[in-house]
Amino acid sequence: MNPVILSARGLEYSYPGGIVALSGLDLEVSRGRKLALLGANGCGKTTLLLHLNGTLKPSRGQVLLDGAGAGYGRQALNVWRNTVGLVLQEPDDQLFSATVEQDVSFGPLNQGLPEAVVRARVAESLETLRIAALAERPTHSLSFGQKKRVAIAGVLAMRPEVLILDEPTAGLDPQGVAHLLSALEQLCLAGTTLVFSTHDVDLAYGWADDVAILGQGLVVCQGEALATLADAERLRAAHLRTPTLLALAVALGFGGGPEDPQPPPRTPAALIARLQSAKAAPTARCPRSPHAFKA
Amino acid sequence: MLAIDRHAWTNRWRRHHPGEHLLLAGGGLVLALTLPPLTAGPLLCLLMAGATVVGAAVPMRAFLGVMALPTGFMLTSAPFLALSLDLRDGLHLSCSPAGATLALEVTLRSLGALSCLAFLALTTPVAELVPWLRRLGVPAAVVEIALLIYRLIFIFAERALAGQQAQAARQGYSTRPRSLKSLGLLIATLFQRALERARRLEVGLAARGYVGELRVLTPERPLSRRRLAGIGGLLLAVALGSVLLDRGLA
Repeated sequence: MNPVILSARGLEYSYPGGIVALSGLDLEVSRGRKLALLGANGCGKTTLLLHLNGTLKPSRGQVLLDGAGAGYGRQALNVWRNTVGLVLQEPDDQLFSATVEQDVSFGPLNQGLPEAVVRARVAESLETLRIAALAERPTHSLSFGQKKRVAIAGVLAMRPEVLILDEPTAGLDPQGVAHLLSALEQLCLAGTTLVFSTHDVDLAYGWADDVAILGQGLVVCQGEALATLADAERLRAAHLRTPTLLALAVALGFGGGPEDPQPPPRTPAALIARLQSAKAAPTARCPRSPHAFKA
Repeated sequence: MLAIDRHAWTNRWRRHHPGEHLLLAGGGLVLALTLPPLTAGPLLCLLMAGATVVGAAVPMRAFLGVMALPTGFMLTSAPFLALSLDLRDGLHLSCSPAGATLALEVTLRSLGALSCLAFLALTTPVAELVPWLRRLGVPAAVVEIALLIYRLIFIFAERALAGQQAQAARQGYSTRPRSLKSLGLLIATLFQRALERARRLEVGLAARGYVGELRVLTPERPLSRRRLAGIGGLLLAVALGSVLLDRGLA
C-alpha cells in the first residue's frame, strides 16, 4: 500500500481577476494520519482543499491519488470523491435537505447503495458524531455546532478514506470542539486519514500528527507536528506563532533537549503531570531560564 | 410562516404517515365543495379544529391564528356578495334574501375548506409532505426546487434579519429616506449573497457526488389501518350529519 494516499505537485492556481492563490504548491498526505494545514487568513488553505477533492482544477501541476494522477472526467471525479470527502467550513453551504436524516442520506444514495445500507450508514454516522437524537429534526432548527456535526456526518456516511475538513473547529464552543475532536479521533483510529485546515496553532500542536505550514500560496514546510511547530522564526514569517503549550514546556525545561529525552507534553494534562513529577523529585532536573526560548 | 412550521415539526401526529393527513384534509376539502355548505362548513371547521387541537395537540391559538387572516377576508367581502347591482334601468343596488343566503353559503363553504388546509399545514412537516407530491406525479425537478426553496427560506430570512439589525445598529433606519436606502442596499446585498451561496452549495453537493438529482431517503411511516378507518368514519359522519341537518333546516 502506498504510504502517501494523496499528494499535490507544483499546484498553480489564480482566481479570475489575477489573484494568485497557489504558486507551485507541493503537499503529501500520509495514510492514516492527521495532517493540519496551518496558515493565516487568505493564504490559500481553502483553495488548496478545493483542489484536493477535484472541485478546482490547477492551471499547472497535478494532484495524485494513491500515487496516480487524478483525472477530471466524470468517472474519475466520482472515484475521487468516493475516496476523498470534503466538509466545507460553513455548514449552511452544505445542508440542503429539510431533515438531518435526509441530508445525511444524500451522499450514500449518490454512491448507488441500496436503501437498507443507506439507512444503516446514516444511523452509524449520526451515532459516531453523537447526534442520533437529532435524526428527525428539521435542519433549520439546529444550532451552529449541531449543523457542523450534521455536515460532517453527511460526508462520513460515504465512508471516505480521506476526510478533509475546512476549519472544523471555527465557531464551536470548547465543549463542541472537544466532542468533535473525540469523534474525529475515533475515525482516525478506525483508519481514516484526516486533513484539516486551521489557523489555530494550539489545535495543530495538541492534535495533529503532521503539520504543513502554508504561506503565500506555497507549503513553506511540512513534517511531524513537533518538529514543524518548534521553528518559531518560520511560524512568525507565516503570520502564526508558537503554540502556547510548547512555549511553556520549553520555558519550563520540558522542551526535549539532549538532557531530557522525553518529547514535550502535547496536552495541558501531560504538562501538569510532568510538573508534578518534577516537583516530587526536585533534583532530577533544573528548569532552564525562560530566556533560553524566545517565542 | 415560522410558527406554522414549528407546529408542523413538533405536533403529536408528526410521525403519522402523511397519507393519513392528506386523506383527512383532502377528503374534507371534497366534502366542503360538494355538500350543502350551511351545515357542512361549520361541521368541517369543528372536525378540523378537533383533529388539530385534540388529536395533534397543537394549541387552539395556533389554529385560530392560521384561520384568522382568511376569515377576515371572507367577512369583509361577504356583505358585497349579498348585494346585487342592476344596470338595466339606471343604477339599482339591492339586497335580497337570496343574495344573503348566497353570501352565507360562500363564506361557510370557504371556511370549511380553509379549516382543512389549516389542519394540513399545522400537522404535516414539509419534508414528509413533499416527497408525496412526487408519487402523485409532480416532476422530480419541481419537487427538488420546492424542497431547496423551503430550506433556503430560513437561511435567507435569518440573513435578512441579521443584516437589517446590523443596519439599524448603525442608524440605517433613523429617517424615512434613509430607511428606503438601507432597505435597497440590504436587498442588493442579499441577492449577491444568494448567488454566492448557490455557488458554494454546488461545491458542497458535488463533493458528495451530486450528478443532477437530489435523492434523499424518505422517512419510513407505516400506514395505520385503524387510523385510516377512523378518518373514513369521521368524514362519513360529517357527510351524513350535514345532509341530515340540512334537511332538518329545510
